[in-house]
Amino acid sequence: MSVLPVAGRAQVRRAAWSLVRADRRSAAGTIGLNALAAVAGLGGPWLLGRIIDTVTGGTGETGRIDLLAAGVLACAAAQVLFARHGVRLGHRMGERAAARIREGLLDRALAMPAAVVERVPPGDLAARGTTDVDTVATALRDILPEIFMGVVQIAFLVAAVMLIDPLLGLVALLGFGGIGVVTRWYLRRARDAYLSEGAADSAVAEEIGATTAGARTVEALCLQERRLAAGRAAIAVNRASRLRTLALRTRFFPGVEFSYSVPVAAVLLVGGMRYFHGEITLGALGAILLYLRQLVGPLDTILIWIEQVQRSAAAFARIEGLAAVPAPGRPCPAPPRDDRIEVRGARYAYPGGPDVLHGIDLTVRPGERLALVGLSGAGKSTLGRLLAGIDRPHAGTVTVGGVPVGDLPPETLRRQVVLVTQEHHVFRETLRENLMSPAPDGELRKALATVGADWAGDLDADLGEHPPDGGQAQQLALARVLLADPHTVILDEATALLDPSTARTAERALGAVLTDRTVIAIAHRLQTAHDADRVAVMDAGRIVEIGAHDDLLRRDGPYAALWRTWHGS
Amino acid sequence: MAGVAGVADVRGPVVFLRWLAARQKRLIATAGFFGSAWMAGLTVMPHLLSQAIDRGLAAHRPGTLAWWAGAVLGLGAASAGLGIMRHRSMTKIRLQVALRVADLIIAHATRLGAALPRSVAAGEVVTIGIGDVWRVGRAFMAVGPGVGSLCGYAVVAVLVWRISPMLAAVVLAGVPTVILAVTPLLRRLQATGQRYRERQGDLASRLVDTLAGLRVLSGLGGKQAHADRFRRESAGLRDEGYRVAEATSWLGALTRGLPGVFLAVVTWLAARSAAAGGITVGELVAVYAYTAILTVPVFLLVESGAEMMRGVVAARRVTAFLGLPAPDPSGVSGPPAAATLHDPESGVSVPPRTLAALATARTADARAVLDRLSRFGATDATWGGIRVDAVAADDLRPRVLMADDDAAVFAGALREVIAGRADADEPAVRRAVWAAAAGDVGAGDLSAGVERDGRNLSGGQRQRVRLARALYADPEVLLATEPTSAVDAHTEAAIAQRLAQARAGRATLVATSSPVLLDRADVVHYLVDGRVAASGTHRRLLADEPGYRDLVTRTAGEPA
Repeated sequence: MSVLPVAGRAQVRRAAWSLVRADRRSAAGTIGLNALAAVAGLGGPWLLGRIIDTVTGGTGETGRIDLLAAGVLACAAAQVLFARHGVRLGHRMGERAAARIREGLLDRALAMPAAVVERVPPGDLAARGTTDVDTVATALRDILPEIFMGVVQIAFLVAAVMLIDPLLGLVALLGFGGIGVVTRWYLRRARDAYLSEGAADSAVAEEIGATTAGARTVEALCLQERRLAAGRAAIAVNRASRLRTLALRTRFFPGVEFSYSVPVAAVLLVGGMRYFHGEITLGALGAILLYLRQLVGPLDTILIWIEQVQRSAAAFARIEGLAAVPAPGRPCPAPPRDDRIEVRGARYAYPGGPDVLHGIDLTVRPGERLALVGLSGAGKSTLGRLLAGIDRPHAGTVTVGGVPVGDLPPETLRRQVVLVTQEHHVFRETLRENLMSPAPDGELRKALATVGADWAGDLDADLGEHPPDGGQAQQLALARVLLADPHTVILDEATALLDPSTARTAERALGAVLTDRTVIAIAHRLQTAHDADRVAVMDAGRIVEIGAHDDLLRRDGPYAALWRTWHGS
Repeated sequence: MAGVAGVADVRGPVVFLRWLAARQKRLIATAGFFGSAWMAGLTVMPHLLSQAIDRGLAAHRPGTLAWWAGAVLGLGAASAGLGIMRHRSMTKIRLQVALRVADLIIAHATRLGAALPRSVAAGEVVTIGIGDVWRVGRAFMAVGPGVGSLCGYAVVAVLVWRISPMLAAVVLAGVPTVILAVTPLLRRLQATGQRYRERQGDLASRLVDTLAGLRVLSGLGGKQAHADRFRRESAGLRDEGYRVAEATSWLGALTRGLPGVFLAVVTWLAARSAAAGGITVGELVAVYAYTAILTVPVFLLVESGAEMMRGVVAARRVTAFLGLPAPDPSGVSGPPAAATLHDPESGVSVPPRTLAALATARTADARAVLDRLSRFGATDATWGGIRVDAVAADDLRPRVLMADDDAAVFAGALREVIAGRADADEPAVRRAVWAAAAGDVGAGDLSAGVERDGRNLSGGQRQRVRLARALYADPEVLLATEPTSAVDAHTEAAIAQRLAQARAGRATLVATSSPVLLDRADVVHYLVDGRVAASGTHRRLLADEPGYRDLVTRTAGEPA
């Protein structure tokens, strides 16, 4: 299994920027509204200063005080309204971006070439599509608007302090320097710690899932104590990982909180000296102190979320990693001349592994039934995948009608060769959509009837709500093949998992599907071989024998030996 | 489980939360103390600032100013210390509660046994076990920040009272007003949030479904239809998200902004009072500063309330699961020595020291017989004349083992997977591995890791590991369904021979359609419509029973 790539920093930055650009107007609107909210927030303390001046002026103008106080009230109300609309706009923008990301992920997954699809660990792709997408969506929707508002507020507060007294502003900024140091220390360690916390959560989920899904086995084998112990071990790991992140926060939070009081004390001292020298008024100094106190709120918001932003950046990098999967980039070959499949000197190795097929030569005659037999691990399924054009040999050729099978575009390929395995994925969709064919309803019904799917009445029945059983799923898979109408069908243990009575129905259905087609059947049981026109026996990545069943028995080679073992004599 | 969790009181969500709280008394007291002390510290900061201004700056005394600046730093340090102690104690409460509940859930899941899948889906238990447990944990936010906020609210009220009782009355009335104003929003947000999460879950399973079927899609086409449908549903989720944005943006802005509006009102009243000479200018500034601090407790109180609401909902799901009745494990003892298992409904008997086989065209019928014999579900089966449903679980289960062909495989080292509940005895494990012809699993290394459900094994390997595990348990009676359906002919022959050897002197019943296994059995029961139609050796049945011959030869590939 190869692993899906993860996007690099530059790629992540480009992708993030293109998300912002796609929603330029909302982005500008969010900035504007947050800025207005921040300005309104600055108004309160400033107006309070004017009230103090009025009161100390001793004029006792109640009207003026009322006016100023009404101003304070108006500022507060304006801040609520601006902030609300700013957050709303940001949230909506995040929601749109999240939708773009998940839709893009599916588009890219759908565009992956078949060979990559076969090789990708399904869990990895699903995790990127669910957990990672959710993490990024939460960040975009809930966290980033908040952080954004915080940044704008901070910018305005700092600007206000700088306007009043640049020197004291500088002192304050230096005083906040400690936060930078503590935050860097924390972020360097936080990511791994929180990742292992997440892994510990998944481990608990795994244990609970395994125990509940396997409840019957637990009871049958008296595994209660073992399962409880395994669950408790996972819980203990979980506790330890959470205590580790707590230990990190135990240094980070107090460091930050103490850092808030440093600039206040520094401004008091330095500002005090300047006041004693008559370089600043008491009112100005008071306003700066109030602004510094106001900085605490937005700073807190940012620092609380910063780790999660980091985490969602990592999740985003995993999602964007799909963009780095090589595109199919197939040449556009001429259409196949005829239906003849030929394998010449084909060698194949899984990535990073040794050859598992060593120079296969095989000609499949149109219309024949060819059985591929051999022990597990002989390379039967691998050869089947080369024949189906899913993988390509690294040496030699696999061609249909003179054209390399692996080069055929999917639309052409599925008219030539289709591989049927035990895995019959049934989508949680209607029956019609599960047949995956644009054919009219009449033809769909005919296909279902041909495979004996008498259970399938309503084409609009939701198979997600009423999932078909194994035999029905098999019939569905065969109906799909029928509708795709290839000239060659490869069956890889297609009926092995069914019980005898179902298998019999399935075989009848199969018979109907296979009429007038070339069939390559892969089987470890020999009944299939008996009925075939020719049998190819594989061993250790080679075809060691090929011929009709009776001829091979007479030849008394490996096939005859296999046949005898199977019969237990 | 009694040692760790005690017997939980699961009569209802609130009772359950109270039961959990009673197990955390000291931590809760600690959290309440630090929550209150930290909040009190917050209210002192404006006092220090006003003192620094009045006594240091206004009085032109650099020494005093330095002293108060030092006090600001000192209070900052103290507040940081109190804050982190509050956070630590709260985190520990959440952790203790959540993991204690997770422990209860796992313990109950093991007690429920085979009854579990009938009552609740596995996915749902996982959701409870990793999601709801933390929501229950967070419900305890009220005991730290919640209590602290009430305390801070009280301190501010007292401080303002000393300046002006009239203003204090306004402050006292204001906070509950603000909280009452946001509560309906909170409820609305929870409702829309719930709908959003459901749709999000649906969309995620749609995505997983499509990804799982990628192979089919690239083989047979239909990608565009899937892409289009996903896009439509994704747009639906986005629109639902817009509705959440309406509620959440109001809630956020009001929780933080309403105290500001309230502050403006208090300032107005205070300013008029100051203008009339009722309070001094210093007091005006102090009232402003104190009231401004109330933003923090208001925010925390609203959050605590929300967490409590969510926690009760989660606790309801937890108690519903913990309240599922577990089967009663008690009962009479089984037969003192090896005895015959008999299923009257089908007529199948498994006498001691016999390798019996069950052949039928309908696997489901064979399963039903084995389920009755091993008491999975309702049964009239007897064991040495004793009804199996009367026998105590801890006597029946170790002696009569049901080995399903789709039995779960749990993660662990190969040796532990095979040893099951017992400690791994190396030679015995090797014997079991040999008998199941599973020597190729993990390349023969018993320390090799097996993933959950044997995901890192091939289908045939998984099946042989299950068989090895059943053989290692060495039960008096072994009931197995299709133990060789996924292995090749050569291996199947080896298993058939070794199985007979490994089970010599013990009772075994295998439901199978494999001629090799059937040929090894002392007796084969041929089942038609769930009842024994004929019994005898494989060869005799082949000769005498046309139906049996049809069934077996189809599988063997001989002309029918």
